[in-house]
Amino acid sequence: MLKRFCMWGLAFWLSVPAFAQLKPEDVQSFTLKNGMKIFVLEDHSIPNANMYLFWNVGSRNEKQGITGLSHFFEHMMFNGAKKYGPKQFDQVMEFNGGQNNAYTSQDMTVYTDFFPATALESIFDLEADRIRDLALDPKMIESERGVVHSEYTTGLENSPEEELDQAMLSVAFSQHPYMWSVIGYESDILNWKREDLVNYFKTYYAPNNAITFIIGDVKLADVKRLAEQYFEPIPVLAPAPPVVHNKEPEQKGERRVMVNRDVPSPYVQIAYHTPEARHPDYYALDLLSAILSRGQSSRLYKALVDTQIASEAYTSFAPSIDPYLFSFTAQASDGKTADTLEAALLAEVDKVVKTGVTEAELEKVKNQKVMDFYRSIQTNNGKANTLGRYERYFGDYRKFFTASEDYRKVTVADIQRVAKTYFKKSNRTVGVLQKETE
Amino acid sequence: MKKILFFLLLALPGFSQNFKLPRYEKLVLPNGLTLMLMEQHEVPVLAVSVGLPAGAVYDGAQYGLANLTAESLKFGTKSFPKALLDEKLDFLGAQLSTYATLETALLTSSFAVKDQETVWPMIKEVLVNPAFDASEFEKRKSRLLVELKQAKQRPSAVLGEYFNHFYYGNQPYGSPADGTPESIGGITLDQVKNFYRTHYQPNGTVVSVVGDFNTAAMKAKLTTLFKDWKKGTAATQPPALKAVPSQSRVLLVNKENATETQIMIGQKGVPMNNPDYVGIEVVNTVLGARFTSWLVDELRVNHGYTYGVRSSFDMKKAGGTFVIRTFTLTKTTIPAIDLALEVIGRLYTKGIDEKLLASAKNYVKGQFPPRFETPAQLASLLTTMFTYGLNDSYINDFQAKVDALNVDSVKRIIQTYFPKDHFQLVLIGKTAEYREAAKKYGEVSEKQIETPGY
Repeated sequence: MLKRFCMWGLAFWLSVPAFAQLKPEDVQSFTLKNGMKIFVLEDHSIPNANMYLFWNVGSRNEKQGITGLSHFFEHMMFNGAKKYGPKQFDQVMEFNGGQNNAYTSQDMTVYTDFFPATALESIFDLEADRIRDLALDPKMIESERGVVHSEYTTGLENSPEEELDQAMLSVAFSQHPYMWSVIGYESDILNWKREDLVNYFKTYYAPNNAITFIIGDVKLADVKRLAEQYFEPIPVLAPAPPVVHNKEPEQKGERRVMVNRDVPSPYVQIAYHTPEARHPDYYALDLLSAILSRGQSSRLYKALVDTQIASEAYTSFAPSIDPYLFSFTAQASDGKTADTLEAALLAEVDKVVKTGVTEAELEKVKNQKVMDFYRSIQTNNGKANTLGRYERYFGDYRKFFTASEDYRKVTVADIQRVAKTYFKKSNRTVGVLQKETE
Repeated sequence: MKKILFFLLLALPGFSQNFKLPRYEKLVLPNGLTLMLMEQHEVPVLAVSVGLPAGAVYDGAQYGLANLTAESLKFGTKSFPKALLDEKLDFLGAQLSTYATLETALLTSSFAVKDQETVWPMIKEVLVNPAFDASEFEKRKSRLLVELKQAKQRPSAVLGEYFNHFYYGNQPYGSPADGTPESIGGITLDQVKNFYRTHYQPNGTVVSVVGDFNTAAMKAKLTTLFKDWKKGTAATQPPALKAVPSQSRVLLVNKENATETQIMIGQKGVPMNNPDYVGIEVVNTVLGARFTSWLVDELRVNHGYTYGVRSSFDMKKAGGTFVIRTFTLTKTTIPAIDLALEVIGRLYTKGIDEKLLASAKNYVKGQFPPRFETPAQLASLLTTMFTYGLNDSYINDFQAKVDALNVDSVKRIIQTYFPKDHFQLVLIGKTAEYREAAKKYGEVSEKQIETPGY
């Protein structure tokens, strides 16, 4: 059974490194000769296990002409390799009681296998085959192109926010590849070539460009033996993947973008450039985001939703490899204009910059973080995904175990300072999505 | 092929996923309230799931009344005005939500064990002493109107509502649980209060708690907490299901600027307590509920028509539907539907052989335990079991029932439960492009997406 966490009081929990019973050293790791690092956490609560492979490549590594290729590639990884041809990856996995999925973000591509622990060797075999010898069959490329085009179309058709997000990125970023969304440009989806995929595979899918987390009803010794048998013979491809050298220059003046779409009431988004996950201001910005928009006692809810200016209002801030955005998004209530909504959002921004936040607000969101941690480690999936993301974004999964301390250190003065530093007019992009008004 | 066969043979022995329901206690208080308590000590958290027989099936013509009533519980109580309630819950990182599905009104909550002396009284107040604040009620109505208008800008969000209403008509299962802008506009606070008085009673209600507690202590705590909730006059009876369509029909919902078509194809399904539900799940896994299913293989992998397609059984107390959902570009709408219908037909023309059945059985067994991994999942399971009158065998006999399936029993299940004709189709998209072609599927009726209701 999984080790149990103590029932400490909150103050105590925040005053010591978290999870005295699930300790950083419970996560065991080893590195294969080809450079792939494997992390193992034994957890015997259910007879299942997960394997999560985090590849250090996402839309951030693309360029115009092949935008969206990381995500398309993620799809192609399921379409046949040398030992297991087209369709067999899923057929073999499902026959063994497993299922899988994958996701791509700006910063990484993550493959997820969920299976009965008895299938561990099969999973290693399947993953090794496609990492080493992906086929990239031209017929499968064409069929998958239709699938991804459908994904693109249905995303836009069913989400006004997605259309606004795409426009915002294209304006907020002038040089960094964060300027396109993960799914890419439609014209690139329809035009990328097989050789683009082949080059991409050679460049990024080398074992030393991935980390693997295996969590569940497994034994370290078995994982090690299988990793050495299946993953270690996969050669390292030279040279090392190119470093993304693009830096978004400082924004010098407010930018604005307008999108027309038949929506019942306008949407407004305001985004500010903010630093990457490893920057010391990350924790203060993350807590500020929660103070502004988490729950019905949050600032935006009380100021915009409760007063019926907006039907919904939220902020978005997440870890990233390079500096990204802190954004505010709201949809107007019936009869309210985009101008009214924008003014209401900016009033909240000004308020934080000028008067900061209260001790009680800060304590509230610190408490919420504690509950988030508990919720994130209730499942094998949650543990694998959370630990892997900490390793990728913060450079060390152990940062998960010290995060409580990192959040605890943030003061109300820090919150006001980061608000002042980043919430400047010259650093913002404003987007409006509404019906054509003239 | 040789390689894969060899592999499959190797994979068979030793495959075991026998998941049993963890121990729990069930008791009924003198006022009729049922408690279901299951200890799970992984994290110091409690998950609560309360189920009441107060779902949208009782809406009548006032679509959305049940859900608005459930939401109104959180607009403040006798002791906690809304702002105070929100502030306290948020401060503790606690979650508490109230909403209604078609058959059940639900309260779900999770919070740290150390905060339970604060949160339990709030849950009790929300259930037993809601204040029904008029101004909060009007604010919510106004936001709901925008949300419902917005929903029609997202065809995927309203496809199910169109289908249910098309299939069940004005019967209770045809009620859109969130209501429509027209129906919500007409609902008054008095109607909500009346709905509450009629349907929110301890008898017929279940409180399921899973987490880091001691059962005896929790029993004592909840017995005291809920003892003054007065028993109601009569348990609510679920409405009966009358006739459902027996001829093929098509509903075209025109969205003039659409670039794709949202598609739902359905027919009669089964009620929740169907004794063959395990076999139905296994067959449906082959047809459309996993990545190598026939539908995904044909529509997505072989033809690239769609990002997603799946088939499912929507099981309710008195009946249910079998549906396939997908979407595709306007120009591939008809080929995608033809293919989907052809694939359903394969259950009859081709059937399921030993090898495929073994794969589906392994798959459903392998994916069973993670469905009940967290306190919230387990609390929800207990509430579902209570609501639909399912006993422990629903979980504990799952593996044995899967194992017992063979090619013959699966054939019987296909012929008994899987439709092969008289389909009901709902298509949302630019319908002028396929209006003529759609006639081959059955009698066509048409709507504009802007037209009120579903």
